[in-house]
Amino acid sequence: MLSLSRSLRSSLPKAARLNCPRYITTQSSSTTPSSSETTTSRTASFGFKTVPEESKESLVKDVFDSVASSYDLMNDATSLGVHRLWKDSYVSALKPGRKGPMRCIDVAGGTGDIALRILDYARENYADRETSVAVVDINAQMLKEGFRRFKKTMYHNTPQISFHEANAQALPSEVFPDNTFDLYTIAFGIRNCTSIPSVLEEAHRVLKPGGTFACLEFSRVNNPLLSTLYDQYSFTMIPLLGTILAGDRDSYQYLVESIRKFPPQPEFAKMIREAGFATGDDVDGGAWQDMWGGIACVHKGVKL
Amino acid sequence: MEEKDKMKTDRRFSSDLPEFRRSVPSPPLFMSSARLLRLAIPLVSTHGFTREALARSVLTLPSSEAHSEPLSDTAVTALFGEGDIARRILICAWLDDGLRHIQSAPPRSTLKQVLRARLEFNEPVLHHLPEAFSILASPAKSVFLLDPRPALQHAAKIADEACHVTTDMSLQLAWYAQRGSLAAIYTASELHQLTSPETAYEFLDSLFDGSSSLKSSFDEVNLFSSYISKSWAGIVKSSGVF
Repeated sequence: MLSLSRSLRSSLPKAARLNCPRYITTQSSSTTPSSSETTTSRTASFGFKTVPEESKESLVKDVFDSVASSYDLMNDATSLGVHRLWKDSYVSALKPGRKGPMRCIDVAGGTGDIALRILDYARENYADRETSVAVVDINAQMLKEGFRRFKKTMYHNTPQISFHEANAQALPSEVFPDNTFDLYTIAFGIRNCTSIPSVLEEAHRVLKPGGTFACLEFSRVNNPLLSTLYDQYSFTMIPLLGTILAGDRDSYQYLVESIRKFPPQPEFAKMIREAGFATGDDVDGGAWQDMWGGIACVHKGVKL
Repeated sequence: MEEKDKMKTDRRFSSDLPEFRRSVPSPPLFMSSARLLRLAIPLVSTHGFTREALARSVLTLPSSEAHSEPLSDTAVTALFGEGDIARRILICAWLDDGLRHIQSAPPRSTLKQVLRARLEFNEPVLHHLPEAFSILASPAKSVFLLDPRPALQHAAKIADEACHVTTDMSLQLAWYAQRGSLAAIYTASELHQLTSPETAYEFLDSLFDGSSSLKSSFDEVNLFSSYISKSWAGIVKSSGVF
């Protein structure tokens, strides 16, 4: 059910509302931890541009408002359908429902891609119909798309799925109390957040001890040849596809820029540990797992 | 590497640093998961080299940090890897604990006593060892059916550590010969222990006795061979062929 927290939305400070980016890789400049500005006002990166923090949030909101309706189409077109493989691999590695029902929270999961996969995986593999997913997104349009998607499934109007409009950097504690969830997922969304450490802190707060944080995100490609090909494709084809298919070149230009601004794998793993999570070692296969040479990457952490 | 060194000296993690770094499984685990790994080692005797042992490690944390339930399978996967990868990590950690056990041998111990102590270390988990070795021998990413390298590394590390503890002073080829023979003796003894634990120590003693006589025989053969080869070299030279 779509339980839009409109009262919460209006009561939240405007600056706090735009933190959590949705996983649309369109424009959303998030402040990287390393950015330091000499000006007194707080700023954030919006792709390769630097904008005031408050402006970034509204820019992100505008971007996702405009791309919501064509989001899935653009994901398929720009990744040539590979994003489905990444998401399938991401969810199957988490094995939701293997040891009983889980309470999951999928942040920046507006269109319900990951939530649907979690519920389907638990049902098909472990006959689990008790696992639940709370889909959280800052953008109402994206949540509407997700709600519409779920209306076509058996999970509509069941306790297994709920939709919440909230800011990942400041999840309302009345709706998301401390130590609540077994699994926190965020796929292609954290990159667009204004303050990644704040998102990680909130994730740590809402997870139970022993709960798992899992983040799927575009990351750094270390292989020089693959990196060159990837850069060529990213900066030429993706904005062009954005123009042709979505009529919005700027949003998808932001997408490829924001990927390059995201911290590399070891740095992001360190941020996860600094938020209080325990991780594996700082190698591929430890604290993170690269997919397709690092084009996408899954970072995991456990709240101990 | 600098960042790794920096993390190691971070005060949050320094208390979890293992005391030795000579024989550590590659890659070394981050401190929090390494701490759980060390807590899981004593659970191997009751739960085996299983993901269950890793999951239950959080139950043995100090009372202020202990969990009420074992870790979920998802959490174990996140910290240690999925499937048998996590079990391999636990097995390697246990093997490293065995090396630490050797290092704690009393001073002026003999090689026989050191290897005997290592065999005694196996006793609490003896019934779990065949499965553990089979997991190590099963290649994670290979088309081959068996991977002998973990077994060879295991024996080589024990032989090297035993020589180090007993301050072995062998040089050049003797260095390799000493470690090679010790590795062979230990491997044979450990395999014997898996099938017949009661006679393992007698078998170890017999192997040591046999190796010393074998070594003296080998030296004599070597010496005699050198005489023969020099003789033939002299004959060939005097014949005027060259």
